[in-house]
Amino acid sequence: MKDEGEDSSQRWELLQPAGRTCSAWDAGDIGCGELVLALRTRLLALPPGGVIRVRATDPAAPEDLPAWCRLTGNSLVSADHPTYLIRRKGE
Amino acid sequence: MPGKFCVSLTCARDNTDKATVAFVVANAAAASDQETVVFLSTEGVRLAIRGYADDITEEGFAPLKDLMASFASVGGKIYVCSPCFKRRKLDDTALVPGAVIVGGAKLVEFMSSGCPGVSY
Repeated sequence: MKDEGEDSSQRWELLQPAGRTCSAWDAGDIGCGELVLALRTRLLALPPGGVIRVRATDPAAPEDLPAWCRLTGNSLVSADHPTYLIRRKGE
Repeated sequence: MPGKFCVSLTCARDNTDKATVAFVVANAAAASDQETVVFLSTEGVRLAIRGYADDITEEGFAPLKDLMASFASVGGKIYVCSPCFKRRKLDDTALVPGAVIVGGAKLVEFMSSGCPGVSY
C-alpha cells in the first residue's frame, strides 16, 4: 500500500488559499459507514470550500470515498490511495 | 428498458443452495440487460476469493464457479463488503473477476437512484 507521497502533500499546500480553513485527518483503517460518518463530521466542521486531507487505508476507500463525494455533492479534489483531498460543497 | 438490479447474498459454503441460486438470478438479470450487482456480505464474502467456489455444485444447477464466471463475463459486478472481508482476514489480492471491495457508500450510490433487488 502506497504511503502519502511528496506530490500530494505539495498539492495540498497549494489548495490552501489565505483565510480558508483546511484540515488533515488520518482515518487509519476504518471503513464503510464508520469512515464516511466520521468524515462527514469533520468536513462539516470546515467552512464551505474548505479542504480536508484524508488518509484512509481501508481497501474499500478507493471505491467508497469517490462514491460518497458523488452522493453528497462534495468535491473529490484528488485520490491517490491512501490519500484523498476533499473539498466541502457550498462554494 | 435497461435498469439496475441488486442481488444481496449473505451465504457461501454455509448455504450453497442460496449461493448458487443468487448467481443464477444475477445471471438472469445481467442477461436481461440490467446493470447488475451481487452484493456479498457477512459469510458471502468468502465467495469472492479465487478458488473458494470451485467445488460447489448444487444438483440441478451449473457449478457455482461457472455461474460466477459467466456473470463476470457479461459485465456483472460483485461488491464485497469491506468490514465483512476484513474481519475474516481474507486476501484482497485473490479476488475473482468482477469483484471489488466496497463499503456502504458505494452500494448506496448504486441503489440510491432506485434499484430493485432480491436477497439470499
